[in-house]
Amino acid sequence: MPVLLQILLTPAAASLAVVLTRRRRPRAAGWIASLALLYATGLAGAVTLDVARGTPILEDYLVLSPDIELQLLADGLSAPTLAVVLLLCTALSFYSVRYIERRVAVLYAAADPAAKGAHYSRFFALLPLFPLGFVGTILSTNLVAVYFFMEVLTVTLFFLMAYYGYRERVRVAMVSLSWGIIGALLFLVAALLVYSQTGSLSTADLPGMAGTPLAAGAVALFIVSLMMKLAVVPFHVWMPSVHAEHPTCIAGLLAVYANLAVYILVRVAVLPLEADVARFGPVLMVLALVTMVYGSLLALAQTDIKRLAACSTISQIAYSVLGLAALTTASVEGGMLFFLSHVMGKTVFFSTAGIVVYVTGVRDMNALGGLASRMPVTAALWIAGCLMLSGFPPFSSFAAEWIMFTGIFERGAAMGPLGLAVAVGGLTAVVLTVAYTFGAARKIFFGPLHPGLRGRDLRDPPWTMTVPLIVVAAVSMALGLYPAPVMALLDTVIGTL
Amino acid sequence: MTTLAAWVCIGAPLAGAGLTPLLARVHPRLRDLGAVAFSAAAAAAALSLLPRLVHPEELPVEQTLAWIERPIRIGFGVLVDPLAIVLANVVAVVGFVIMVYCLGYMRGDPARTRFWMWMNGFIGSMLLLVLASDLLFVFVGWKLVGVCSFGLIGYYYQDQRKYWIGGPPPDPFVKPSEAGLKALVVTGLGDMLMLGGLLLVYVHAGTLNFLELYATAPDWLAAMSATPGLVVVVALLLLAGPLGKSAQFPFHEWLPEAMAGPGPVSALIHAATMVKSGVYLVARLVPLFYYGYWVAGIGEAGWFFQLTAWIGAFTAFLAATQGLVAVELKKVLAYSTVSQIGYMMLGLGVAGLAPGLLAGGYTAGVFHLVSHALFKACLFLCAGTVIQAAQSFYLTDMGGVRSALPLTRGFMLVAALALMGVPPLPGFWSKDAVLLATVDASLPLFGLALATAAITAAYTVRFFALVFHGPAGPHRSEAAHGGEPAGDGEPPGRSADGTPSMRWAAGALALGLVAAGLGGPALERLLHHAFAIAGFHEALLLDGPLRLAAVESPGRGLVPTLSVLVVLAGAAPAWLAYGRGTVAPGAVLERSRTARALHRFFRSRWGIDAALARVFVDGTRRIALHVARKWEAELDEAVHRRWPARLTERMQDLVHHLRADTEVLLYNVSYVLILFGLLLAYMFLGAG
Repeated sequence: MPVLLQILLTPAAASLAVVLTRRRRPRAAGWIASLALLYATGLAGAVTLDVARGTPILEDYLVLSPDIELQLLADGLSAPTLAVVLLLCTALSFYSVRYIERRVAVLYAAADPAAKGAHYSRFFALLPLFPLGFVGTILSTNLVAVYFFMEVLTVTLFFLMAYYGYRERVRVAMVSLSWGIIGALLFLVAALLVYSQTGSLSTADLPGMAGTPLAAGAVALFIVSLMMKLAVVPFHVWMPSVHAEHPTCIAGLLAVYANLAVYILVRVAVLPLEADVARFGPVLMVLALVTMVYGSLLALAQTDIKRLAACSTISQIAYSVLGLAALTTASVEGGMLFFLSHVMGKTVFFSTAGIVVYVTGVRDMNALGGLASRMPVTAALWIAGCLMLSGFPPFSSFAAEWIMFTGIFERGAAMGPLGLAVAVGGLTAVVLTVAYTFGAARKIFFGPLHPGLRGRDLRDPPWTMTVPLIVVAAVSMALGLYPAPVMALLDTVIGTL
Repeated sequence: MTTLAAWVCIGAPLAGAGLTPLLARVHPRLRDLGAVAFSAAAAAAALSLLPRLVHPEELPVEQTLAWIERPIRIGFGVLVDPLAIVLANVVAVVGFVIMVYCLGYMRGDPARTRFWMWMNGFIGSMLLLVLASDLLFVFVGWKLVGVCSFGLIGYYYQDQRKYWIGGPPPDPFVKPSEAGLKALVVTGLGDMLMLGGLLLVYVHAGTLNFLELYATAPDWLAAMSATPGLVVVVALLLLAGPLGKSAQFPFHEWLPEAMAGPGPVSALIHAATMVKSGVYLVARLVPLFYYGYWVAGIGEAGWFFQLTAWIGAFTAFLAATQGLVAVELKKVLAYSTVSQIGYMMLGLGVAGLAPGLLAGGYTAGVFHLVSHALFKACLFLCAGTVIQAAQSFYLTDMGGVRSALPLTRGFMLVAALALMGVPPLPGFWSKDAVLLATVDASLPLFGLALATAAITAAYTVRFFALVFHGPAGPHRSEAAHGGEPAGDGEPPGRSADGTPSMRWAAGALALGLVAAGLGGPALERLLHHAFAIAGFHEALLLDGPLRLAAVESPGRGLVPTLSVLVVLAGAAPAWLAYGRGTVAPGAVLERSRTARALHRFFRSRWGIDAALARVFVDGTRRIALHVARKWEAELDEAVHRRWPARLTERMQDLVHHLRADTEVLLYNVSYVLILFGLLLAYMFLGAG
């Protein structure tokens, strides 16, 4: 089977396998899903190497009509994105094996063992639909196909949240579903606008629309629709509750879910319709800056460990948006790398928060403290997450920040005082990230052990929860130590800007 | 060969940091000795570069590999020139001596694996900072130094009562984890602003490689000066980083708390790593702005020097006054570091304030950096020993340790005299060099520097007298520390002067001070020569600045005498008050209202710490709470509850209205359908 199709279908097959074995071996569900995703990640890695060596891979499948076809493209932009996203899916799938066990035990305490097994295996039947949606969104070149896969993600999220979330989980699931559908519908409208002008739904034909009167309208719709996903102020309001109340083991995937819109924006707007996007550039830059500061301030005010991570996502995604809005080669490539770095960092950070909740059962940071002496590995992971989010070397976010802001300053210097102010403001806002990440580290891990935790058996969680995060941190470190290969890949596509 | 040594300098400590956990698995002793061995390798490599200073004609030597080509071009490499050699030796050699001291000081500490990793990481990052050939990798080292300082200042992260600093009440106590966070955030702000400056340079120059920047300065400085005000903005942004890392006003408030870590960590931060990085970077930038101002005639470039010199002189004075009244031994030394760094900045600043001062001011700043590294490392190591012996941080608890610590007293005396600037110790020569450069540039600055010298002498005598000649303390401070002993307890088998490794390390530094003092003028000449030949990258300065005749002010012959007199003027009253006890400081305070007000003012750090905390920490927190509780909560309520509810209500009303008013629902529905169909038709046919 062609490799891209294989990558797309492996998660679907895993989901099916879990459904088929759910009665006889409910406990195997986690391992089936994880191993299948590991396989898909391996394939994605191989594809990335292939693309790096030679030419892009293109696969074509007729599905509905010649206009709405399933065309999968792995090029310098999509291949590394795919590899990193699948790596995170795999890592979090392994992480979930034990996490969901505990979650089911808490949520469905009254259920009998068979029902518990059903709840457990259902999670792993749903989880692979995330990578399915991601792979489809990343690889598809057809706008309607992209829309379709975005909706797959939204619906999957709804079920995962409603079944396994935290406080008010059904209501919050409805909230996220509504936002997801409205955003996706706007995307569809934009796609139809494009079709009306170019007679094609393929992203490859988008440049043909550049400069037409409706191009600005389509770009505006794309931007608004994706800003809803990206949680850019004023469309951020769904993020804190949605990201805080879902099961923490998919937190990293939710960060991808939101942040992936950066990739889509590059694909459907920044690259093909640069001149039309440029009209919105300054506005977007200012909005991004506002979002960074606003998200960071929100994060600073949180006492709930999960809401902290959620608010941080609002702020972090805005960095990529700033990079895209600046519309220079360095800023867009840096923005893409920042996206990948952020989702890796957020996976480590958020999942470590999940470990703390898993071990202590406490979400309120004021009721935590002094955990480092009992849970050294977790503490180290949290610090690694802090470093990854705050853009410290040797993690890739440092390289991303550097590259991206080079481009932003390039644009800023050309724009004059406002541009420079936005650029300097964006850099300065990083200090807020340092404050809320390391400040939380101090609250949770340093100081004497919180009186409420005395006498509890607190220790690092099983290895299935820590090792995946260590792998993610290591990948981020490798990308940070030597970003040249991934930048060269991105440059093959974005370098034309 | 030269570049290899530089690579070893950077690589050995970093490798040591990585390997420590593995060595710990083999044997704890191997881990301890191994950690020190890696820093020894760096020190040996640095020393092997030293002879190069004698032949500056062969410098600079650079080796750079491409690190990234697209979309921006950055190289990873080492640059060996006089400044890099001097700094590498300060960092690696002083760092190594401190590591040896740690062998004894940290004995018995349960978390030594973590300690050695941070220490070697600290030294390695700092060496990367001073040896990198590209500003990006300087910045990498810069950030890593920040992370390591966070780990080391907050080393006692469990915040046990005995490790709290500050106090006694009503002065607040500060916990180690809090101090680490403060250092990280405050210096982090400077870092990010500086990054902005670096990127603006890159945008105009297309490179961040030092030699390329020097070579192409005429082009990119001209391009930059085309935008009015931009050079000033760049100077401000670039200076923010050094001011943060080197604890200069207004970023200086993190350093006094940075003593929360183990004693030798303070020695490392104050003498060899971290705070020296700012001075180093300013020194790197001096030739560029000097060229801009004096050769290219860009008036805005002069801001760089005015800012550096004035901030340096002001900070030197500000911190010295605080050192006068501090009650903790390490805090006196911390204020003293802030103050002495001010001298270095002053030296570098005046280098560009008058023609022909470049080499003189530059050498003075760097020379003072070297001598400060020696005496401050020695002072902090001795302070560590004193604190372990007295089991308290407070000066008032230390009196009478004289008889118990004969060696430490001797070492500390040498270092203290050097800090005061007593001839012939190196502090005298280097401070003198700064003063000489300043007197040629600006008399107000000179006055400020001279006043600082007097205060320096006073606070040095005060702390030394209180420690070794004051009334015998209780050797414990039950009141302040809840009965637990300070420091790390008393491991068996050591005299009060510390373990052999501790004595050896402090002694080596004292000896180095004496040697550097006797050879002071020769050392200064050597540095001056090396910098003049290879420090400023001739290509850049060919047409002039070095040939500009120095304008020597008439009174400069008096400066050394003046400086000695001023030291005496500061030292004498302090000795009378704290050494001889002729004047009782307490009585003076009681008598004079002015003295009381001044004392309070200095003790409260001129109110700067509190003011900054109120504006930035509390202010941000208050805004954050407001945003979260008011705006966000309100928005969430409106978007997710109120509006949907209203929408559903309206829809119900509408349906109700349609049904009740017309009774023919079907018609109404068909209107809606027709409208929808028209819309679709327009989209697909009309527009296309």
